[in-house]
Amino acid sequence: MSNPLSLAAVVLVCLTTLAVGGLGLRLSRRTSDFYVAGRTVSPRLNASAIGGEYLSAASFLGVAGLIYDQGVDMVWLPVGYTLGYLVLLVIVAAPMRRSGAYTLPDFAEARLGSRAIRLVSSALVIGIGCLYLIPQFQGASLTLTLVTGAPAWAGGFVVMVVIALAVGAGGMRSITLVQAMQYWIKLTALAVPAFVLLALWFRSGSPSPQVDPSWHVPLSPTSPDDHPTYRTVSIVLALCLGTMGLPHVLVRYYTNPDGVGARRTTVTVIALLGTFYLLPPIYAALGRVAYPTLPAGVGSDTIVLRLPETFVDGLTGQLLTAMLAGGAFAAFLSTASGLAMSVTGVIDQELLRPRLARFAGGDVPGIRGFRISAVLAVLVPYVLSRVAEPLGLATTVGLAFALAAATFAPLIMLGVWWRRLSTWGAMAGLLVGGTAALGSIMTTMVVDDLGGWAGAILANPAMWATPLALATAVIVSLATPGRIPAGTTRTMVRLHTPERVALARSRLPE
Amino acid sequence: MSNEARTQQEDAYLELQSTSEFQALRKKFRGFVFPMTAFFLAWYFLYVLLSIFAPDFMGQRVGGDDSTITVGLLFGLGQFVTTFAITFIYARWANRELDPLADALGARLDGMKEH
Repeated sequence: MSNPLSLAAVVLVCLTTLAVGGLGLRLSRRTSDFYVAGRTVSPRLNASAIGGEYLSAASFLGVAGLIYDQGVDMVWLPVGYTLGYLVLLVIVAAPMRRSGAYTLPDFAEARLGSRAIRLVSSALVIGIGCLYLIPQFQGASLTLTLVTGAPAWAGGFVVMVVIALAVGAGGMRSITLVQAMQYWIKLTALAVPAFVLLALWFRSGSPSPQVDPSWHVPLSPTSPDDHPTYRTVSIVLALCLGTMGLPHVLVRYYTNPDGVGARRTTVTVIALLGTFYLLPPIYAALGRVAYPTLPAGVGSDTIVLRLPETFVDGLTGQLLTAMLAGGAFAAFLSTASGLAMSVTGVIDQELLRPRLARFAGGDVPGIRGFRISAVLAVLVPYVLSRVAEPLGLATTVGLAFALAAATFAPLIMLGVWWRRLSTWGAMAGLLVGGTAALGSIMTTMVVDDLGGWAGAILANPAMWATPLALATAVIVSLATPGRIPAGTTRTMVRLHTPERVALARSRLPE
Repeated sequence: MSNEARTQQEDAYLELQSTSEFQALRKKFRGFVFPMTAFFLAWYFLYVLLSIFAPDFMGQRVGGDDSTITVGLLFGLGQFVTTFAITFIYARWANRELDPLADALGARLDGMKEH
């Protein structure tokens, strides 16, 4: 299915991303501009940017594919994606903002005063970022191959180059503008074809989707080896706790001017995400109308892109496919740039800058190290995306959430709400959660099909790895009360003092 | 900020913690947020429980036997609405109830500075 219009749409989205990125270059000057846009982004712009950044390959292509495959219980996936923001807002957003840390490793160090915990957190940010970037590159390759017949390495490569240029050029400021725009591109690109397809479906006498009755029944197993209840509960837990531990999500809360702005942003984000997620189930159901079963060699992740040309021939079909391909690329680019941005920040701060400074006698301009880091942050996951066994876009993204839920979620929740957390406890929690989750994820990615309970437990580690990490952190902390950081009480009060009080406080004579 | 100034400011935080206003603020926040979190988590896991214990109810077709829409699907989509509603209620509560309290405490501290 070679389609020149689709190729044009993909090129247009890439060029626009680069052009707006270039515009951002003229606006960003200081270091804080590069990281958090100088903390001056309005709630509405910020909400669009969060939506734009968050809706990835998994949401644009993967969710429809999973609902097509497994039926209505997969509606839970988008609900979980949205729910994570509510948990983040209510439980951790405000204290994290008040900690004054730009990144998760900054927070870990500020709260626990430990350089070692900072390093482990940095490694985890890079790990989660990589896991999340892999499906973006895979989705891009899949899309470009489907609509233009390009070789499988090409799509991911294009995304990698565009991201490295955009992030290296302008940092966060340009990314905020680019991503706000990309939310609206994605929504339009998914909504317009959906409505056209629905209209065509009505005109052809609205035939029912050809599905097994169990497709309609939530949590009904698709095979005896399938454990849908465990899987669903584990996914919901991973999404609802993992969101707070995603490196590219939390940093967005620092770009709000104040707490009121952060709340307004979240309300808007949930409205934007909810609107978007009404669309994938439409594609899944229409997919079952057009393809009662998938043709051989076709993955369910491509169902969204295949639908227009099965419903309508000629120019209309090509135009709709082009819209979807452009929207899909907007999804890959925006998510990947947000992730690359966070991973770049960590590589720059933790690994590159200290070494470059030593090498050049402290004379390296900060921006150059940042740009080298940007290249590293996209190159490694691209290579991994070429060698890893593709698991399905939404599934791989789910693994990134599970890793975040098993590591950062306990650290953040205990760090914000429990004053008896000790340095050793936090470290033990991170290591146990990280090892358990990463071990399961690696096994799932390398071993083809474990099947049965072993497969279900390893493919969805959040359900057991998160409580395990939490319990480890609590037990080790209780056993090592001497390792509670000396300034804990002060830090805790600072985290829980509303900004307005802190402001008045800072004006007191010192 | 010099080290000395920082220490003094952080001691000021400790002092702040001991005020009854700060404790009241903290109690108010926890009194609202903890029960609410428990409530919304229970509400989301209700879907899972219903799917396990009342699969016939969740699989029931809405609007005719060959309809694609089931109770389970509506329940799932309805969660978007409730998520939005809960977030909205929290934001309004924080803006109306929590912020004025914080403002009052801030103003009192400002007042202390003038005396």
